[in-house]
Amino acid sequence: MFDRAKYAFILPAFLVVLVIGLFPLIYSLTISFMQVRLVPPMPPSFVGFDNYVEALSQPRFWSSVRVTFLIATLAVAVQYILGLALAVALNSTLPAARLYRAAFLFPLLMAPIAVAFIGKMIFHPGVGPMRDLFGLFGYPDPPFQTDPVWAIGMLVTIEVWQWTSLVVIILLAGLQSLPRDVYEAAALENATPWQQFRGITFPMLLPISAAVVFLRFVESLKLIDTVFVLTGGGPGIATETLTLYTYQEGFKKFNLGYTSAISFLFLILIVIFGTVYVALIKPQLEKRT
Amino acid sequence: MSAQNAIRRPSHWPVTIFCLIWLLITVFPIYWIFVTSLKSPLSVNGGPTYLPWVDFTPTLDAWRAAFSGARGDFIGPLVNSVAISLTSSVIALVIGSMAAYSLVRFEFRVRLLAALAFAAIAIGGYVAVVHGLGLGKLIGLGLSGVLAMTTAVILNARNLPGPVLGNGDVVFWFVSQRMFPPIVSAFALYLIYAEMGKAGVPLLDSFPGLVLSYVAFSLPIVIWLMRDFFAALPVEVEEAALVDNVSRFRIFFQIVVPMSWPGLIATFMITLSFVWNEFLNALLLTTSQWQTLPVWLTGQNSYRGDEWWAIAVAAVISITPMIVVAAALSRFMRSGLSAGAIR
Repeated sequence: MFDRAKYAFILPAFLVVLVIGLFPLIYSLTISFMQVRLVPPMPPSFVGFDNYVEALSQPRFWSSVRVTFLIATLAVAVQYILGLALAVALNSTLPAARLYRAAFLFPLLMAPIAVAFIGKMIFHPGVGPMRDLFGLFGYPDPPFQTDPVWAIGMLVTIEVWQWTSLVVIILLAGLQSLPRDVYEAAALENATPWQQFRGITFPMLLPISAAVVFLRFVESLKLIDTVFVLTGGGPGIATETLTLYTYQEGFKKFNLGYTSAISFLFLILIVIFGTVYVALIKPQLEKRT
Repeated sequence: MSAQNAIRRPSHWPVTIFCLIWLLITVFPIYWIFVTSLKSPLSVNGGPTYLPWVDFTPTLDAWRAAFSGARGDFIGPLVNSVAISLTSSVIALVIGSMAAYSLVRFEFRVRLLAALAFAAIAIGGYVAVVHGLGLGKLIGLGLSGVLAMTTAVILNARNLPGPVLGNGDVVFWFVSQRMFPPIVSAFALYLIYAEMGKAGVPLLDSFPGLVLSYVAFSLPIVIWLMRDFFAALPVEVEEAALVDNVSRFRIFFQIVVPMSWPGLIATFMITLSFVWNEFLNALLLTTSQWQTLPVWLTGQNSYRGDEWWAIAVAAVISITPMIVVAAALSRFMRSGLSAGAIR
């Protein structure tokens, strides 16, 4: 009797994920081996790995892979360094901790689309305050929209603005769960704050750091909202991310087989990244424990 | 708060200033959007201005224009967003927490071979039915799904060799759905919905279609968060009720749920914010009637040009509910949500 209850509890969730999550994937996997075009309409035909081969030979595909990984790497690196510094600072001092906590939640809960529009406004060459900020340094009109380097810098800045708080919140929770007696011992030994950080805080935060970096990196690879609103992938294709490229292929050209193939290549890239990351980080973590 | 007394503070001031600067950076864009929504077209286009009444005269024109409907209908998308996010969060919370509960209190054993057989029959069966027998795609998916499920259940009951997957693996299966790039699943879902439409079940640009996709999209988070909350509950009350022959469903809804309100509410709000903010799914699955706020917002950009005051109003409307949620969540975090949820 208990057995039946157990399946009744899990079945609705299981079925929804199966039907909405997995069945479409199976369908799209089979499509990725076929030539399916809506414009111009063509009867679907089996083409084997042609779509995959074509994608891998497209410079535009590789450019979007590069852009995606570049933005994710830069954004996550800045988020982590800044987030760690802020978490340590907030943990050691600070009178109005509650105020900070509420303020830090705002960016996280805002729609990335809304954030993208705010970013567009702030970086706007005519009406945005960034113009005044850069004007202070004697460089009034940075080419955010027209120069690839500036455009990527702008996208990274917006990512950092929105997601650093998440790193702070998670690392802060990690810091507060660290055992206190180690620090007391270190204080007896007259360790400097920097020594305490190098010798205790950072190594002990390593597992949670590894987790948060992984989480943020995988999320960053999915970036589309800000790119969609701010640059549309431009100038040229200099800021076109993988998600945007897939979307363009699917909904501008309606080349469904090819689009499915790119989306599975994207999935494979994420799996490869995840496997490599875990393989690299695991010995590090085991060494410490 | 544990280690703070033992840490020797370097000097207080640089640290405080560093934190204050970041606070300023965090708050400024939010301030900016509120201020811009109060500007007249003239004071927006004249270059950046910062303080109302000091360097520009605030006006409510943009707000009036938005609510009078002069600038296109935003009430429709707003109502859509509210209806869709509330409905899908509630459904996801109910079935997700049931699944989480069963994953905490019961033991699941899935044989790896049965799971592999499921995948092989589902994919192979689909290909065989559709491309071998030439039947419809939906029939193919349905048939292969049922066939794979039955085989897997039968195989699972047998004493097969090979590793056995436990509850942790089931949780991983659910959570790994979130690892997929959303474009992969959203595009696949778009294809399936288009097929369903041809078969006479219109799911594209419809309320049920969007809600279903968001329930599936939120379930991993709900299961992940609620599992921690349920695991922290004392098991004794439930055991006492079991001895009295109370059914598992009554135990769950009358004992477990009332004990977990804080967790349920926090999880509900997190799910709500995910659905409310979601863009890509809504972009792919809606065309006009069921557009949500984020999709509608991007539309503002393209055919209206740079009417920043109007865009600011729209953005403020879309973020206000989330500011309320943030304020409420920060209360929960004080009572230890973050530490529990993140582990």
